[in-house]
Amino acid sequence: VRPVAAAPDKISEKVADSIKGAEEACAGDPASGECIAAWDEVEELSAAASHARDRKKEADPLETYCKDNPETDECRTYED
Amino acid sequence: MAICAVYTTQSLNPTCSISTPSKTHLGFHQKQVVFYTTGKKTSRRGSSSSPYVITCATGDSQTIVIGLAADSGCGKSTFMRRLTNVFGGAAEPPKGGNPDSNTLISDTTTVICLDDYHSLDRTGRKEKGVTALDPRANDFDLMYEQVKALKDGTAVDKPIYNHVTGLLDPPELIKPPKILVIEGLHPMYDARVRDLLDFSIYLDISNEVKFAWKIQRDMAERGHSLESIKASIEARKPDFDAYIDPQKQYADAVIEVLPTQLIPDDNEGKILRVKLIMKEGVKFFSPVYLFDEGSTISWIPCGRKLTCSYPGIKFSYGPDSYFGHEVSVLEMDGQFDRLDELIYVESHLSNLSTKFYGEVTQQMLKLSDFPGSNNGTGLFQTIVGLKIRDIFEQIIASKAKSPVAATKA
Repeated sequence: VRPVAAAPDKISEKVADSIKGAEEACAGDPASGECIAAWDEVEELSAAASHARDRKKEADPLETYCKDNPETDECRTYED
Repeated sequence: MAICAVYTTQSLNPTCSISTPSKTHLGFHQKQVVFYTTGKKTSRRGSSSSPYVITCATGDSQTIVIGLAADSGCGKSTFMRRLTNVFGGAAEPPKGGNPDSNTLISDTTTVICLDDYHSLDRTGRKEKGVTALDPRANDFDLMYEQVKALKDGTAVDKPIYNHVTGLLDPPELIKPPKILVIEGLHPMYDARVRDLLDFSIYLDISNEVKFAWKIQRDMAERGHSLESIKASIEARKPDFDAYIDPQKQYADAVIEVLPTQLIPDDNEGKILRVKLIMKEGVKFFSPVYLFDEGSTISWIPCGRKLTCSYPGIKFSYGPDSYFGHEVSVLEMDGQFDRLDELIYVESHLSNLSTKFYGEVTQQMLKLSDFPGSNNGTGLFQTIVGLKIRDIFEQIIASKAKSPVAATKA
């Protein structure tokens, strides 16, 4: 399965790197502090990536456009 | 209506001003001013009857502090948005500041993320071999000082932990809001911080559901596999059990999310059994109940009046004990097919602290695209949001009744 809505590339890459790093750190001793801290970093980055993904998803193209161009026909709204 | 006394005490509020409708401004420095009238109590929040408007940078310790504890990736941000929505107005990051700020500000509410009080940044934790869950990676002294200052009405320069870079960024200015929410891993860990909380909530996600949620969250991400998700959860578990999980005994309300019992051996994590555990005897907090307070009840609302498809909905309610405290537990298993039919359920719940009939349903409908809107997580988060509004209003009202006593406290 290809990533459907991957986070911005910068964070995505970091997540992938941190997973690789964690697997290496744990290769020697799976119960070491180093290993545990490495997986914690993976979790932190995964959470950041997911938040970034949500933010990107939320952006409605018309809403974004209307923020910059409220006077256009597509965007004008009147209270009454 | 005469003002009979002006008390000035040597404390708090660096910026207080009092204005009359004729726009006279008096500045006070390092002093607190308390006005009260004889006879009737002073009306709260400035006033419709009194001609005086008192604005004190949200002064006279009117900030109430709410603590929300949960692990990362457990829906804290959804909860936060539901909560700020109860108070109206969208919560947004501080304007013009650090784009990676974790703070959310709305008219009444400021939400700060306790990750900002990490004493060790990402590299520091790696060197020491500790996780962010470990108390050694957090600065509880600073957390206490700043939360205390905000509660007392003083603005603070709070550090920013940048989740993308893993570094501690330059601080941002946080002004005292009406409602301060501190959310993160350790809001109830330190006894001093815990004592500052007016209300505390713990989001307790069972291991099965946590695993299912993290798969949904991370599987599409590059590099992640079932093994890596499992390994990450396993590695953090000892610290989680040692430092985070025990905090739930201090919470006034716990939202527990468990796998459903309606479908045997379900582990998709889509259908949930959610428990709202409410502590009894907490000041200003009266637990919600179903039909009859204090009884033990099991209720299946599906039938002629509520359309439910497989596997249906089941509610339970009853008294219980939780870490030696007396609690009331409300449970919902299953999910709604049509959110507007939630009104049928709402009409059978009591003590919801709503302002009008149908408010819970209306709140849920407003945020119907949020995760958890069709099950107990959204319902109970909304209810807790209304409870917090109620607690806030009661605290403000009780302070308005006895202003001098409140400032002494």
